[in-house]
Amino acid sequence: MNREEPIFVAHRLLDEQILDCDGKRCGRVDDIELQGSPPRVTALLVGEALYPRRLPRRLRGLARRIAGPETWGSNALRIPWEEVDEINAAVHLRGKAEELGLGYGDDPENWLVRRLPWN
Amino acid sequence: MKAILKVALGVIAALGGFLDIGDLVFNTQAGALYRYDLLWAVALGTIGIAVYAEMCGRVAAVTQRPVFDSIRMRLGFGTGLVALVASTAVNLLTVAAELGGLAIILTLLFDAAFSLFVVLAAIGLVVAVALLPFGGIERIFGYGGLLMLVFVAVAFHQSPDWGDVAHGFVPSLSSSTLYLYFVVGVVAAALMPYEVHFSSSGAIEEGWTEKSLKENRLNAIVGYALGGILACALVIVSGYLFHPIGVDPGDLGTVALPAQGAFGETGLLLALGGMMFCVGGAAIDSSFSAAYNLAQFLGWEWGRNRGPKKAPRFTASWLVFLFLAVLIVLSGINPVEITEYAVIFAVVALPLTYLPILLIAGDRSFMGGHANGRLSAALGWIYFAVIVVLAIVAIPLLLMTNAGGG
Amino acid sequence: MARRVAAAILAAALLLPTAGCGDLSRDELNRGVESLSALAAQGELIASGVARDATKATYARVMAKTLGGQAEHEAEKLADAESSPEVKEERNAAVQVAGELADLFSELQTFAGDEHHGALVQKHMGEVKEQADALVVRLSGEAP
Repeated sequence: MNREEPIFVAHRLLDEQILDCDGKRCGRVDDIELQGSPPRVTALLVGEALYPRRLPRRLRGLARRIAGPETWGSNALRIPWEEVDEINAAVHLRGKAEELGLGYGDDPENWLVRRLPWN
Repeated sequence: MKAILKVALGVIAALGGFLDIGDLVFNTQAGALYRYDLLWAVALGTIGIAVYAEMCGRVAAVTQRPVFDSIRMRLGFGTGLVALVASTAVNLLTVAAELGGLAIILTLLFDAAFSLFVVLAAIGLVVAVALLPFGGIERIFGYGGLLMLVFVAVAFHQSPDWGDVAHGFVPSLSSSTLYLYFVVGVVAAALMPYEVHFSSSGAIEEGWTEKSLKENRLNAIVGYALGGILACALVIVSGYLFHPIGVDPGDLGTVALPAQGAFGETGLLLALGGMMFCVGGAAIDSSFSAAYNLAQFLGWEWGRNRGPKKAPRFTASWLVFLFLAVLIVLSGINPVEITEYAVIFAVVALPLTYLPILLIAGDRSFMGGHANGRLSAALGWIYFAVIVVLAIVAIPLLLMTNAGGG
Repeated sequence: MARRVAAAILAAALLLPTAGCGDLSRDELNRGVESLSALAAQGELIASGVARDATKATYARVMAKTLGGQAEHEAEKLADAESSPEVKEERNAAVQVAGELADLFSELQTFAGDEHHGALVQKHMGEVKEQADALVVRLSGEAP
């Protein structure tokens, strides 16, 4: 990785599809955590609670009210950079989605999914 | 040999899946009002959808990105969300229009209450989707849509003055707002974006790779060119039969009338059958398109081939869209009116979904050697300009003409 | 400023379609009669299918019902509108044409599978269309 890489990676990283090691689609990169100087990507942030901060300032308050408060570990997840295996058209993770808490909405354990007629 | 057959099947599916209720409504009315004068607009729209479809298919095959994946990446979350909300609203209207159209066609075939057929049609579509594999759905409705070829036969049977018909392909504008409204309507009806969003997601479901690029190009060029012929036939037969006697085809049944005039009951049944498959297929495509877009934008698991157990949110949202469409149709709004609004609003939303694809298709860092060449890039940008103009004038024209009501 | 202009344009666009309300003008009457002629033409085509046994009865019936409803709606619209005195006579003639048309469609609806009736309705539809067309000529011919 050369020094230009972080900026390029941020451009190719934000909003990308995330796949786990089984190729399961389990969310998108809703935000990125940067730390240090020069800044380095230290984690991917994923979850509905992060949507409001992606909107124009004026709409954020309303969006927060709809999305609900940020609860780390449930509607906002931190995926450490070490979990990232490979980046091409999508971000591939080393582990399984369930182990990282990702893709809960499509998880058979989800209360909504459990109530669907075909489950 | 097998490869040729496969390509032929793909082309046929594209051809049969090209027409939907928007084309039936706008092209027949355009013919009745302006005889062959708007054929050029059909051609303009057909080339446009072929350009867009070819790019989306190529991006999907090379980068494995469906349309709303590209949109979220290129536009970011905020602007992308605008594109998503607009597309979803248009898709919902489209599903309602197609479902209502399907129910009207069924009442013409089996005289019973309209609302009963709305519900039966929705249930029928769910059953078809539940039982058939992805390719099967596309093929059954695509092949069934080939019955629409009867309109080409009707055109030849009527044997219009082909010189006049050819003259209709020369673009002409007039200061009449109604004429301009129909120019926008006819182009927009051919350019309905859900078809492309559906087929590019379908390409990923069917595991397209760079090897599929030739198939993609043939589907787009040959399939849509042949589809365009069907769309032109609708204008020609209506222009020949309805224009001289001043018929205003305000409902779907009238669309099939020229086929009855030419070939009697057989012609009528072929026409109604073809319309049924076209509109039914479009109901499936547009509802799937709505669910694909939502799931892709939010990063959910998606795909008809993943099945409801592996992609529960995707499947559930598809059913919700279908259900909402049923409610819209049952509210009593005339499906033909819903169609007009769906088509006009679709072109208003189109630039936002077209631009990201155009940018990615031309970006070598994503597409490598398959990026837009000079011709594709030129065509792509020319059509972007066309779409932007249409998007700007569409709503003022809709208001000024009272949705074509004069 | 831009917003005010936009609002004015929007208001104008919204008001434009309603600008013609009030008395039934010669122009509006003309348009009404033209649409009656168009309905009659369509009725003639459907009836000819019935007469030649070249259609499906359900199709003819449902179409006759839909188009008949439109004819009736047109008749009511013409009958309810206040017409200016100069076109009073034409207005009454138009109402009569619309009424006849609605009757013909209801006959077609009842006898959608009957070739004999189909031929009769076809013939009458043609006559009604001629009446409507003559009325259009009168309305537009006398216009200043």
